[in-house]
Amino acid sequence: MKNDLKNNIAFTNARLIDPHSGLDELGDLITEGKQIKAIGKNLFPDGTPENILTIDCKGNVLCPGFIDINTHLREPGEEHKENINTASASALAGGITSLVCMPDTQPVIDQIPIIEFIKKRARETNGVKIFPAASITKNIEGKQLTEMGLLMEAGAILFTDANKTIKSTKVMKQALTYAKNFNLLIMVSPQDYDLSLNGVMNGGALASKLGLPGISKVAEIIQVERDLRLLENTGGRLHFSNITTHESILAIEKAKNSGLKVTCSTAPHYFTLNERAVDEWKTFAKVFPPLREENDREAIYNALLENQIDIISSHHSPQDQDSKRLPFEQAEFGISGMETLLPISLDLHFNGNMKLIDLIDKLTNQPAELLNINAGKLKINSPADLTVIDINNSNIINLEDMKSKSKNSLFDQYNYKGKILYTIVDGRIVFESSKLK
Amino acid sequence: MHALDKWIKEKSISRTQLAKTLDISLATLSRYLSGDRIPKQSIMQKIIATTDGNVNPSNFYATKIQNIAYNKYNQDHLLGIEGLESSEISSLLDRADDIIKDNRIEPIINHKYKGRTLVNLFFEDSTRTKTSFELAAKRLGMDVINMQIETSSIRKGESLLDTAMTLNAMKPDILVIRHSLSGTPHLLANKVNCAVINAGDGQHEHPTQALLDALAIRRRKKKISGLEIAICGDIAHSRVARSNIKLLITMGAKVKVIAPTTLMPLGLEEYGAKTYTNMKEGLKNTDIVMILRLQHERMQGAHIPSAKEYFKFYGLDRAKLSFAKENALVMHPGPINRGVEIDSELADDINRTLILEQVELGVAIRMSVIEHLINNLDNKKFDIINEK
Repeated sequence: MKNDLKNNIAFTNARLIDPHSGLDELGDLITEGKQIKAIGKNLFPDGTPENILTIDCKGNVLCPGFIDINTHLREPGEEHKENINTASASALAGGITSLVCMPDTQPVIDQIPIIEFIKKRARETNGVKIFPAASITKNIEGKQLTEMGLLMEAGAILFTDANKTIKSTKVMKQALTYAKNFNLLIMVSPQDYDLSLNGVMNGGALASKLGLPGISKVAEIIQVERDLRLLENTGGRLHFSNITTHESILAIEKAKNSGLKVTCSTAPHYFTLNERAVDEWKTFAKVFPPLREENDREAIYNALLENQIDIISSHHSPQDQDSKRLPFEQAEFGISGMETLLPISLDLHFNGNMKLIDLIDKLTNQPAELLNINAGKLKINSPADLTVIDINNSNIINLEDMKSKSKNSLFDQYNYKGKILYTIVDGRIVFESSKLK
Repeated sequence: MHALDKWIKEKSISRTQLAKTLDISLATLSRYLSGDRIPKQSIMQKIIATTDGNVNPSNFYATKIQNIAYNKYNQDHLLGIEGLESSEISSLLDRADDIIKDNRIEPIINHKYKGRTLVNLFFEDSTRTKTSFELAAKRLGMDVINMQIETSSIRKGESLLDTAMTLNAMKPDILVIRHSLSGTPHLLANKVNCAVINAGDGQHEHPTQALLDALAIRRRKKKISGLEIAICGDIAHSRVARSNIKLLITMGAKVKVIAPTTLMPLGLEEYGAKTYTNMKEGLKNTDIVMILRLQHERMQGAHIPSAKEYFKFYGLDRAKLSFAKENALVMHPGPINRGVEIDSELADDINRTLILEQVELGVAIRMSVIEHLINNLDNKKFDIINEK
């Protein structure tokens, strides 16, 4: 890009969608430097100035870039699966402009130098904005609390033990209580430790048919209920990620209504696929928590339509071939999800009649509010983190085209609508679809 | 009828005359006709010339391929009972029956598959299954390679798939695999060119055990369909139970599963099995009682309180057996925990139990499986040659 007039970009003929303000109409948007300078109808009655980069959106959607609150970047420690460069490219290709990375790296993000390392790598990569999460307990062992206050000052956006739950009720209670000192957000992927131990798929008839150890849905519900009881007692902010069961939704909904500061999220595979995906030993469908039965999948889908689930995250968990080409019990959990976040989620809009603005809310404004960051909205002087989407573009997902270093997606060759045309971070075009026009 | 036989009939000549014309012995000609041997090129040319091209090489390959006349089993592998049709299962059982008949009259070693190779790849300890496969292969004239791999050494070095690919490069015909993790044979089957037989994978399936159990039942009761069969013991952790339930229901038996709730897996009703927690109730009107082994590690901990309590409620003794039909038979896949799942004296009663017979039939059923698979393997090669 040429160093033109103050690095401005003009987006014209865009369907501007901003869930924060409820805006959904045709119009224009100009960025200046790193920020949004103007938004409105007909900003250029006399045509755009010649010395400014103009993108004619041709009626396509222009909305805030997505914010993904649950991703595993695998750096440091497992760079053969993903590193911050490849993860950034993957995120940007998926329209994601900010993400939270989980602390279950090697070493674990439980000390200031590791936070500093992630921040440094993010600066070098200069792509997606990375907000590191730190662990609640040292080395994710569920025993001793990390230096939450210091880690917060160093840049930890929230605290979580990632896929592991804190087995000790007492430690969990202490974590919630201590986090209140700094108004920290605690995130939990709920799964009872003992009931989920050694389990590799949903517990039930299919697991007994395949002879695989199962994880009963009760494992999730028990943990949700335990942690809600604690929250009731301690106060503070709690977020449940990876919600997969109907009963969890009911419990969380009840807690919300009673005034607890609790929110929840799920990932696209939990509302698109059920446990049948693992039949014939498909290790690519091995995820944690496991894909559930059809009635739970449907419940999660409906909970999104009913706005009982606040956020959709990718739960991006890249795994290399060698970690997946193993007997089912030995294979690693996880799917690579950032590049399929939007197309899979758009099913809610096309087939579930969810308003597009409400869907984008769960990908932008809601996560921004949860993390309390200045992002996720189209607002003058806010960071110009944007994405342009052709939502009607029919599109076959091709693993070969994925930017993530690990291409363990379940959605290979799926025909879905929704294509990211541009991704803009801080007023810079950082992703541009090669197949535009 | 063989095309050459047809030609002989049409021309109203005798086999002897034809043998003379072709300058071969009558015995050789018979072997061609039975499909045991394929004419070499010079003789093949003579046959084509003599018959004016009415008989051609494909006639001989075709007979070779159909040498198990009733082969209804068309799978490339035997990975589990799941998904098999009753006709496929019958084909495997029928052939085993024939093998037993042949063997009892004339126990000679058959050199049918000389030069073929079977690899026993066992990642878990096994005596009876491994020996049984080895014996079956040797009776068919095959070369057998036994690989006993400690799971620990595999973990240190080579990955499972690498091991399999190495073996595959040696071009065996049959790969028999036992592994402690469910689904491992399926994973290998996708990667190798040979036929894979599942000799037990985790808690998933043990198809040859189920086949031999079915054979034992069929030989004693003359049928499977309509029988009431009770399977009792640690169902949750048993691959034998899973394969047996699927097989017996496919063959039309009424299957009753008896186990304490902690050892009963979910979803058995989906297969059409009935579940019981009370053994006496479950045994009522039963023709066959299959007792499963209770693993030592399950005897403590949260599955059952003690071996003593287990035997009291779920161990088979004469008193409990009296609830079954008068002529009910007892089966056990072995090895037996005497006094835990079955009364010791009852286990030795040859009039009531099929336990040793089960071992004997194991060899025949495995020979049958090997024959079917090699047959299908050759069929596939034949198809490929024909396509070319």
